[in-house]
Amino acid sequence: MADLIAEMRQAARRLLEEKKVDLIIGFEKGTLPLRSSPCFIRHPEDVDRLTWDSSCENNLAKYLPGRKEKIGIIAKGCDSRAIVGLIQEKQLEREQVVILGVPCQGMLDRWKMEQLLEGREVLEAEERGEELYLKGCDFERTLPRAELLHRSCQVCRHRNPVLYDLLLGERVAESPVPDEYAEIREFERKSPEERWAYFTKEISRCIRCYGCRNACPFCYCRECFVDAEPLWVGKTIDLTDTQLFHLVRAFHLAGRCVDCGACERACPMGVDLRKLNKKLEKDVEELFGYKAGLSLEELPPLATFRPEDPQEFIR
Amino acid sequence: MRNPFIPRLLRVERVVIETADNNIKSFHLSFLMKEDEEAFSYLPGQFAELSVFGKGEAPFGMASSPTEPGLRFSVNKAGVVTTALHRLEEGEMVGVRGPLGRPYPIAELKGKNLVVVAGGFAFTTLRSLVKYILDTARDDFGRIDILYGVRNPGLFLYKEELEQWSKRDDLHLVLTIDREVEGWEGKVGLVPNVLKEIAPNPDNTYALVCGPPIMLKFTLPVLRELGFPPERTILSLEKRMKCGVGMCGRCNIGPKFVCRDGPVFTLAELAQLPDEGL
Amino acid sequence: MKEQMKYLKLSKEEMANLLDELRREFRVVAPVRREGLILFEEIGSGKEAQLDFGNSRKSPKDFFFPQMEVLFSYQLSDNELKIEEPQPEPRKTVIFGMRPCDARALLLLDKIFLEGEVQDSNYRRRREENIILALGCTHPRRTCFCTSVGGNPFGTEGIDALFIDLGKTYVVEVLTQKGEELLRDRLSEADEESLKSAERVKREAESSMGPQVKAKELADLNLLDIFEDSFWDQVHEKCLGCGICTYLCPTCSCFDVIDEKTDSGGERIRLWDSCLYPLFTLQASGVNPRPTGRERMRQRVLHKFKYFADEFGQPSCVGCGRCVVSCPVNLDIRRVVNELVGGKA
Repeated sequence: MADLIAEMRQAARRLLEEKKVDLIIGFEKGTLPLRSSPCFIRHPEDVDRLTWDSSCENNLAKYLPGRKEKIGIIAKGCDSRAIVGLIQEKQLEREQVVILGVPCQGMLDRWKMEQLLEGREVLEAEERGEELYLKGCDFERTLPRAELLHRSCQVCRHRNPVLYDLLLGERVAESPVPDEYAEIREFERKSPEERWAYFTKEISRCIRCYGCRNACPFCYCRECFVDAEPLWVGKTIDLTDTQLFHLVRAFHLAGRCVDCGACERACPMGVDLRKLNKKLEKDVEELFGYKAGLSLEELPPLATFRPEDPQEFIR
Repeated sequence: MRNPFIPRLLRVERVVIETADNNIKSFHLSFLMKEDEEAFSYLPGQFAELSVFGKGEAPFGMASSPTEPGLRFSVNKAGVVTTALHRLEEGEMVGVRGPLGRPYPIAELKGKNLVVVAGGFAFTTLRSLVKYILDTARDDFGRIDILYGVRNPGLFLYKEELEQWSKRDDLHLVLTIDREVEGWEGKVGLVPNVLKEIAPNPDNTYALVCGPPIMLKFTLPVLRELGFPPERTILSLEKRMKCGVGMCGRCNIGPKFVCRDGPVFTLAELAQLPDEGL
Repeated sequence: MKEQMKYLKLSKEEMANLLDELRREFRVVAPVRREGLILFEEIGSGKEAQLDFGNSRKSPKDFFFPQMEVLFSYQLSDNELKIEEPQPEPRKTVIFGMRPCDARALLLLDKIFLEGEVQDSNYRRRREENIILALGCTHPRRTCFCTSVGGNPFGTEGIDALFIDLGKTYVVEVLTQKGEELLRDRLSEADEESLKSAERVKREAESSMGPQVKAKELADLNLLDIFEDSFWDQVHEKCLGCGICTYLCPTCSCFDVIDEKTDSGGERIRLWDSCLYPLFTLQASGVNPRPTGRERMRQRVLHKFKYFADEFGQPSCVGCGRCVVSCPVNLDIRRVVNELVGGKA
């Protein structure tokens, strides 16, 4: 890890010194154990702020749309797919970014950790290879890292960045998970009533903070449909309005979502947001044979039309 | 304790199209309940939140003077509520909450000369102030100069009244338009420039200014150069508002809420506040 | 009216029974575990109440300033308009388990909703109907900073009775007449030994507080001096502009008012809003005095630690640390305050 960080800082320093970029977007150490925080570096002498560990959970591609500068950006696998998507959608020019790809072994799920510890506060933490050492005021635990990864990381198929200008560290083995949609298939087997009941139970905790929307790199609309005039969806926490917000947002993301999990990680109320997005991701793959963010040349199916598009499902 | 969010009901008595482009209409409204009318005791400079039920509420400065019956508001069609207001016809109902905000400091203005400078449709509350003075105690005030400028002649508000005021000898009314228009015999020139020309004497005089940000940007320096001190330069500000009573946190400039501590402010008061756009 | 200070005692095992007893007369709200979160909810039985927790994910301000509230409804028929105010059933509620920071926050909300020129009648009713049994913080978290902003892990402001956890028992400090009337016949008086332990617990908690936040120093800075400081240019960059910090915060009270139509009329509804949202100050003309995250972050920080502090003598923050824990990008307000002060020191 230390070598990777040194390599990262060196690459960033060189890019800034040679004025190949105006800005580096990466991660710096957070203010709590096992937290990192996005950072914006403009001077070579600041690159030592850059860090890398299993808490670098945010999708930094979020910060790209609307910028005019040349940017060097730290990108995990999912982040690089998001960057591909943003370039496809013309929110970014390829030449604008120097992608510093970092192969990723998955990021920790801090809400899951909190649950496993039954809410007890972590005062010290240390990554020890495949294990995580956690210490609080009245406990010490060592947990297998794999158990603490976010669900999206556990089924991730693109741990290595798909698009990059420079690869930092060594490529890693892709996840051995045979079926990334296993959870969805299991859910699909439930009756509509059961599925609706689950959806309702989850959404009833939503407080319309829009953390999910604002953490997502593809929610870059200047005026979101929940704020627009005429009002398509009510703004209150009325359950129907809130359910509609999540359904519509999931559909807006269909064929674009790269399952980085940023939405779910941001959600302070632990709402199971990924179910919807993952289901639509599965549908898009099955109906159109397309996975988001893998190729700059292929375009998202819901944004393009070809005469030979499959249409048996249109009745 | 009365719920401060419940509006009182008003009926639309008359709708007057003020401007040639139809974008500004005046609404003459009357209270349904006499006790509501008696409770609504206001002074020029204050505002009220008008409700179009089902669409929302928006703040409007009082265009009527308290010496007149009912309420009058002049509404520029810009957003959801104002567009809905523009669709109203006589006999329909709206709601009102108010009076809100701090009025013009009338007691302080007594015995002084007044220079009223208005641009565009910001003339409304200044009209209320002048009418109030004319109706109650004209002799308590000194010389009154009014400079009112709009882009073109069709955009003047209260044209009939301005006509009458131009004939009075206890008012000096100067109307100006931005650019020459055939048939216009009055002044031509932007408000700041015409103000420089008129060069009112600042001694014992208050300047009351209301207009769009761009007009204020160039007019305030002229007043300063003419010698009007910040304590005697009075503005009325606009902000997006919702509650109108200093609770919803939206309309503040630094520590002051425009709905509660304004909308009338002196330049001296504003100098203590951060620059968050006028 | 002089407030009687009385010390009562209760064993932790008896807590659930006490809550069940109270449930016979009142609605009882307590911290419960829901899908892995601690949230304040009405309990169906005393056993549901969590006694060992940090703090709830969302603050309990919902019970005083609900996220969604119908202000009135209107009916339109034959061009006649009728306005109807909702008449809720009076419901005396006991809220158990509130932390002293959240209780103190209510006094700050009072300044907005009760102590201005205009009072919110619904808010007043809820303040009168709710009885607060707070739980003092034996083990403040590292993210807590109540002592930096005028609070204390065993602070008594805004509380009717304060429960002090001694391990197997509670010492209950009765603070108001409401609290006394509620508990005097249900609990026995505390003994000297317990009182001594309680004092020790309080002292230990206070001395264990984590890093301090320079809130007072920020309030002392000159506003016009710091308003245009280049500090604001960078501090907002990682902020996502979501509403998480403002919605979880016990003292944030900004709201929106919207109309929603039904078949024959409609409702006017008040709902939470956030100064961090881009549309918050957008005017119909298109002008926005806070057009970017820079201005909005500045508003949030200065409103909480400067404007409110200047007007009321204390910041609009009780140091509960929820924003620190839940911010998706770990934009730590403690760091923001200290850096702003540090740069100007």
